[in-house]
Amino acid sequence: MRTMTLDRWALLAAALVLIALPFTVSGYVLYVVNLLMVFVVLALGMHVVIGESGQFALAHAAFFGIGIYTAGIINTAWHPPFVLSILAGGLLSAVLGYLIGYLALRMRDIYLALATFAFGEAMQWVFLSWEKVTGGSNGMKMDPAELFGLRLTNDLQAYPFVIVLAALMLWLTVALARSQYGSALRAVRESDVAAMAMGINVKAMKQSAFAISAAFAGIAGGMYTLFTSFIHPESLGFQTTILVLTMVVVGGMGSVRGAVAGAIAFGLISELLRQLMSVQEIIYGLILMGFMMFKPKGLFADRNRRVAREVKHKEVQA
Amino acid sequence: MSFSEIWLFLQQGLLSGLVTGSVYALLAIAIVAIFKTTDVPNFAQGEIFMIAGYVALSLLLIAGWSYALVIPVTVVAVAVGAALFQRVVMERVTHSKGVGPQLVIATLGLAYALKGLVRQTGLGDTPRSLPSLVSNDPVIIGDAFLTRLDVAIFLTSIAAMVLIYLMFSHTRIGKAMRAVGMNPRAAQIVGIRLSRIRMLVWAMAGLISALAALLITPKILITPDIAHIAILAYAAAIVGGFTSLPGAVLGGLIIGIVENLVGLFISTNAIVVAPFLAILVTLIVRPQGILGGKPQVKKV
Repeated sequence: MRTMTLDRWALLAAALVLIALPFTVSGYVLYVVNLLMVFVVLALGMHVVIGESGQFALAHAAFFGIGIYTAGIINTAWHPPFVLSILAGGLLSAVLGYLIGYLALRMRDIYLALATFAFGEAMQWVFLSWEKVTGGSNGMKMDPAELFGLRLTNDLQAYPFVIVLAALMLWLTVALARSQYGSALRAVRESDVAAMAMGINVKAMKQSAFAISAAFAGIAGGMYTLFTSFIHPESLGFQTTILVLTMVVVGGMGSVRGAVAGAIAFGLISELLRQLMSVQEIIYGLILMGFMMFKPKGLFADRNRRVAREVKHKEVQA
Repeated sequence: MSFSEIWLFLQQGLLSGLVTGSVYALLAIAIVAIFKTTDVPNFAQGEIFMIAGYVALSLLLIAGWSYALVIPVTVVAVAVGAALFQRVVMERVTHSKGVGPQLVIATLGLAYALKGLVRQTGLGDTPRSLPSLVSNDPVIIGDAFLTRLDVAIFLTSIAAMVLIYLMFSHTRIGKAMRAVGMNPRAAQIVGIRLSRIRMLVWAMAGLISALAALLITPKILITPDIAHIAILAYAAAIVGGFTSLPGAVLGGLIIGIVENLVGLFISTNAIVVAPFLAILVTLIVRPQGILGGKPQVKKV
């Protein structure tokens, strides 16, 4: 039970800091916090597919981009309540993700990684070349998001909504993990055959997990449009996918806390080292290799094991 | 577009496609060989290929060595590097956890570290090509136009493939590699050392990648981004079935031809999407690939 209370304390502390923040800091800090919240949702999406279902998908940046362009284009054209444009981006990502997952998971698990890798490259090309819609390499200016007449024109105005959305996605991830669906996913992760023997539709689980993860990335894209008015395809390439993967891997695959902590840590690092792309690449590369060699379950794995032991203990007593 | 133009483009696309396709086929062979023996799709394949290009470039243009030295040194250095990666990093990963995703992430890590390294050194800032050993004199086949270099690339690739085939079918090491690919546990029981075979497979993959890099870099500019060529090789491997070496060759040639035809008939820009489309079409029409055989159920 001790870990539960610790989590509660951490959440409470985080909530207090996040509430106090807009009264104390400058716009840039709020921008970074907004960005970190987007990374948290991206990492949660990666967590669902890699941590919960044990699959590999490498198109997170592409779905993020689809979410941004969809929400941005809808906002610019119709100015609906932003909730709708964010949902539209999430939905489009989910549908595309489901289609790719449906095809790729017909054969080997690893085809999902390869197909999504190629999809990510193809999508970046689409963002760059479909000039009529995305503005191509000039980037695209987007109108500010609106909610019932309130226009979100700066980081401070967007901040409360970004925080609420991130909290909502966090809650969804935890609810998903605790549901029967989550248990079934983890069963699939541990053993296809054992899961199948228990009557779980393994393929459907894998496909839906990937679609959910794509939806998370799409929603993260929508969140991004709340506090930015410009998007360039440059930032939607494989390096963003690798960044999100690093967050999840270092935090601990299969751990929600790990995904959140990783997102915050590496979100900050990537913002600090924005000018030094090659240094970032070397760092992430070495971290990925090093963690796989010496700490394959990430930093938060031990706590998970403790929870597992406690659950087992409780079950024995019951 | 007139009929004669279409006919010309078809011939040109087919022949140019065979040339670039033979290089993709080499890379696809490396991917498939590693996948068969270690169950890992090597996401660093493109970066290993790129590094080989830069090793050759530094030795030739900066250190000023002659080709007679550069070729063997590059090939050996990359093969040794790849073998070390398997021996030091991958074996360690296998020991700490040992399952698929962790190994794949390690190869992604290698890919990224190599790419960053090249950019950090600044070698990537000025794209350059290697000087060609063979002249660029035209060779005309039918109506299509190739260079002598093209023909040399194609013939060398084919020769390499024949050698690889002979190694797998006639040498002890090749047979041991195939045995590990079929059933690692049984292979271990008959006295094959898995870690040694895995290391040798990686060495072979490195060697093939270096060869591919030496072949194609007189024709294209070397930049850190040429690692993208690996996507075409993955597509080739999937088209061929991912576990079949002849499939990888066939897939490579098909991808090469498709890429060139797309470039000629549609637009050279659209080539980037070709691998994804090829993967999709394969997954829809024949998910096991052309020479993939029956899909197998994973054992518990």
